[in-house]
Amino acid sequence: MSPSVGTIFSGVGVGLTSAVGEVVVVKQQQTLPAWAKSTKTKDQELAELSSAIEFVSDYLDQLGSKTGGTGAEIFEAIKTLLEEDELFEVASKHIDSGWSAAAAIGKAVDEFSELLGGDPAFDERVADFQDLSKRVQAKIAGIEMSLSIPETGQIVLVGEDFSPADTAQFTDAVVGVITFKGGATSHTAIICRSKSIAAVVSCPDATELETGERVLVDPVGDRVVISDDVSLATKSIEFVAINDEPLIPVQANIGSLEDAVAAGKTGAHGVGLFRTELLYLSAKTEPSLAAQVESYTAILQAAPEGPIVVRTIDAGSDKPVPFLKLPEEQGMPLEVRGYRLLSTHRSFIEGQLRAIEMARLATGREVWVMAPMIASVKEAKDFSVLARSLGQYRVGIIVETPAIAEQVDQLEGIVDFVSVGTNDLAQYLFAADRRNPSLGALLNHWQPGLIQSLARIARAAKSAGITSGVCGESASDPVFAVVLAGLGIESVSVSKSQVGAVRGALSSLSLADAKEIANEVLKQSTPEAAKATALAELARR
Amino acid sequence: MSSIKGQVQVLDPIGLHARPASQIVKLVNESGLEITIGREGQEFAKANSALRMMALKISTGETLTVDVPTQDKLLADGIIAEIQEFLKGE
Repeated sequence: MSPSVGTIFSGVGVGLTSAVGEVVVVKQQQTLPAWAKSTKTKDQELAELSSAIEFVSDYLDQLGSKTGGTGAEIFEAIKTLLEEDELFEVASKHIDSGWSAAAAIGKAVDEFSELLGGDPAFDERVADFQDLSKRVQAKIAGIEMSLSIPETGQIVLVGEDFSPADTAQFTDAVVGVITFKGGATSHTAIICRSKSIAAVVSCPDATELETGERVLVDPVGDRVVISDDVSLATKSIEFVAINDEPLIPVQANIGSLEDAVAAGKTGAHGVGLFRTELLYLSAKTEPSLAAQVESYTAILQAAPEGPIVVRTIDAGSDKPVPFLKLPEEQGMPLEVRGYRLLSTHRSFIEGQLRAIEMARLATGREVWVMAPMIASVKEAKDFSVLARSLGQYRVGIIVETPAIAEQVDQLEGIVDFVSVGTNDLAQYLFAADRRNPSLGALLNHWQPGLIQSLARIARAAKSAGITSGVCGESASDPVFAVVLAGLGIESVSVSKSQVGAVRGALSSLSLADAKEIANEVLKQSTPEAAKATALAELARR
Repeated sequence: MSSIKGQVQVLDPIGLHARPASQIVKLVNESGLEITIGREGQEFAKANSALRMMALKISTGETLTVDVPTQDKLLADGIIAEIQEFLKGE
């Protein structure tokens, strides 16, 4: 039986737009069968493979003609990759060694993905390519994979989660999206936010929805309501500036020269998180000091006015840097990453700090440096001594392990600042792997456990005379940024697209008001109540 | 067999990515020649494979050598010029 009108399903809202539309349930994708050895002749496997590739190529042609323009060119380009003789030859070799057609294409695409991987410019294409591989495997296994999304009307898509190839097929008719899994930082959430599509993710009970029902997608209320009445949508807050400047500085997160240039065009007061991994991910050998200095100088020059906080390299299994030759560790990201590399790659980190110092001297910018994955006071001290011996920096650490979060007061005299990485802190606090889409709800930044931890960090930093900031994704939520300011956090660093919105929110009230809101939020025991309280308190003012 | 070589520069802001690579593949397949492309002094990739070319991880600003196995200078220069066009980006 389908749920009755008025039924509410809770999830995690994305964005501020709400929408009413007709549900289209995207069939739960069956899992692909595991790769197996062939039970047929080689010729049969080869024939199956080429017909499946042809099927997917035709499908891409259809998508291309539907999309038109640049989109069509992209589909044309990835089709070329799929139809390539080279790919077929590599796959044939796997068939020769006894694998089934599905396994052979999977393995061949993995091999090429590895060759192409590591370059951020290609990451999206590699994802597309992997998606094609899955489509070919699905065709071989007789599993239906293409979405058929209506082109007209007002559609709310409902499904487990959507891949890049899925979201590329969203038509103009898609006004809302509901997913059972995936958190606020999932691909689906990012796309919906950028296209202003109403979305609620991590909404497990939405499995009860059926195609044809009318629903209200209400991201501000973190819920989906079976209703045709858009006026039921939770009102989003309109921030009216009462001050010219935000309560606390709003900085930008950057990772590349393009980011620095783009951030320079926002109202950001400097950079609160400069992720340096991108500069090294595609290098096969360690870049020379001169090359590093050149990269850093260009980025420091382009960055928005204000201090620039540089995070030393945070490489690990999810962000492998080829020349560091890190051991492959599977499972939870509890491994040698971030600052922990110092024991094995000291000369590299020293070189990085030297290069940053030379770029600082060349540009005359104010540069702060911080180390990721610090777990003990001793590590913080060692990093501080090292960084101060190599440059005139303000030195800090990222607080992202629960252990150091409990010891911030003991960092007095050791570091000048701490910056909380809420994405990783949440992952470690809740023992919930960020890569697992089923755990999205635990990684919601409105979780009281995380907010309590942030409150303690802010208090401890103040008593130790250390500046505190937040550079995680949570700070990009304007309402949450107000709570952070109220908790005593002294700066936030946000995605460059969110600088304006966060500045707007933080300019709309007094610090006393922000503190009152934060105090009310701290009394709540569920993420839903915490967010609702913040919104209600803001609306009252 | 002798061949004619020419240089092209990657001006596309994303480097040698999927779209220009697939345009090159189409051209090379039409020519019927075993054209290769790469950095001088390193192993060249078959220009009929977008995957192999992309795996070279060519970034913006790099200069590449195109090797066209023909003695027909007019044909080779035409192909090289067209490849240069593909690498200009938008």
